[in-house]
Amino acid sequence: MSRFDALTQAAARRLASRTSRRSLLGVLGRLLVGGAALPLLPVARVARAAGGAPGGSTADDPESCDYWRYCAIDGFLCSCCGGSASTCPPGTSPAPMTWVGTCRNPADGKSYVVSYNDCCGKAACGHCMCNRNEGDRPPYLPWVSNDINWCLGGGSLISYHCSTSVLVGVADE
Amino acid sequence: MGRARPSQFVRVAALLWLAAGLASRATAADFVAEQATTAKLSRGVHSVWLHDLAGIGYTKATLFDADSGRALAQVDTGYLGMELELSRKTARFFSAETYLSRGFRGTRTDVITTFDGETLLPTGEVEIPAKRMLGMPTSAHASLLDDERFLVAYNFSPASTVSVVDLERGKFVGELEVAGCALVYPLGPRRFASLCGDGSLLELTLDDGGREAGRKVHKGLFDPNSDPLLEKAVRAEGAWLFVSFGGDVVPVEIAASGLAFGARWPLSDAGERAAGWRPGGVQPFALHAGSGRFYALMHQGGKDTHKDPGQEVWVYDLAAKKRVQKIALGEIATSIAVSADDAPLLYAAFIGAPALVVYDARSGAKLRAIENAASWPGLLQPILPRVAGAP
Repeated sequence: MSRFDALTQAAARRLASRTSRRSLLGVLGRLLVGGAALPLLPVARVARAAGGAPGGSTADDPESCDYWRYCAIDGFLCSCCGGSASTCPPGTSPAPMTWVGTCRNPADGKSYVVSYNDCCGKAACGHCMCNRNEGDRPPYLPWVSNDINWCLGGGSLISYHCSTSVLVGVADE
Repeated sequence: MGRARPSQFVRVAALLWLAAGLASRATAADFVAEQATTAKLSRGVHSVWLHDLAGIGYTKATLFDADSGRALAQVDTGYLGMELELSRKTARFFSAETYLSRGFRGTRTDVITTFDGETLLPTGEVEIPAKRMLGMPTSAHASLLDDERFLVAYNFSPASTVSVVDLERGKFVGELEVAGCALVYPLGPRRFASLCGDGSLLELTLDDGGREAGRKVHKGLFDPNSDPLLEKAVRAEGAWLFVSFGGDVVPVEIAASGLAFGARWPLSDAGERAAGWRPGGVQPFALHAGSGRFYALMHQGGKDTHKDPGQEVWVYDLAAKKRVQKIALGEIATSIAVSADDAPLLYAAFIGAPALVVYDARSGAKLRAIENAASWPGLLQPILPRVAGAP
């Protein structure tokens, strides 16, 4: 499936009509990671998220919304904004807090813990909008809510630019 | 043909000059010079605010006349604004806003801005702690309490608290801690609820100074593991209507003595549920109080499609808890709302398309599409009817 580059009416409608797995919202979300918080990772989500990536040729393309490690991402893909799946574009900084998902890599059949770091400090990138809501919950469960802007730091860490999905471990199934 | 002599050019030019002069003298007597002024806002029962997420940036809301399709006015709502807090009592309204001192960087300031409802000019602001929840819009992020003296706004820093603003005194009162819970749902002049991750509802009571006077945890509203609630609830007469991911309406009945959980009832029958019909979107529910009709934006999809756009609006008689109508939308939508008058309109917008689409809420007929209404349509807010005696 082609990536969601522009929210044109035609493209959006085509996307909406072709997938029920992905809604067309924007934005953000993620859970506290950062070292000490890792033991709290919601590995229980493995079961829910394991089927997230649909396979196929786009599952290994970091600029595709179907890339396997984006199974619970929500926002603009940093891969399309000057960064990569795990790096922020120049001039932006990773959010100090994130939320975490667990995605299965179809290449090796293993599930990995993924930290969805927002990159902060500039206006929204606007390229490659991608929203996959496997396991997403409302803000009363913030650590699994992708509606929240996690650019919660001060200074240059307030505005949302794009989202990365950083592999931080192998999920213990 | 020979070339014209210079004297001929002079004669023609002179005649043209004379004609132009006579014409200008003929109209000058009738001419009234314009002066730049500002239009007065002219609202009707079918005026509706449409918020524009503007690519996830500095947001705005445009007021449309849904009958003519014309834009009437605009207000700006800061960085990642969500909605307006509309008044039933006065001509003013409020907006919870965030600003960064250098646009997308710098010092963050959060304010509750007061707008004059006639001029749409900001007439005041109250600074609140710079940590109101930012993200996708939800009408539960901030709210006026029922007598409109206090406004409450949900904070996420990531600690969960609620800022209380005294609008009568124009002052920030303080923060209430709501750990484990999120968002605000007004219950009365001095009461509101917050929805909690363990499936409970937290009821908070304020005193007349806006300080916490009491709290009560109501356990067992929902099971966050088996069928979580959507936070996108609507308030009916005497009740909040929540809806679960699976499509059950979960009423919370409001009485002076406290809260009671009403009986759940389904939006879809077993066959429809098996076929994957479920609610979804940014603003998937609406209410028409006069007729007691509840509107749900429905789509066919699998698990975790709770933000997917809807293809149909299903209409329910709230008293009978039964569906009475299905409206097939001409365009998919992520937000719906219904005007409050006796000839209600159904408004629909899709976050990925710039149009505001207007339907007859009773017949379901599509009336018009207002094109280029917003770049990223967010929440819809029909104007509210004023209570009797309000200016």
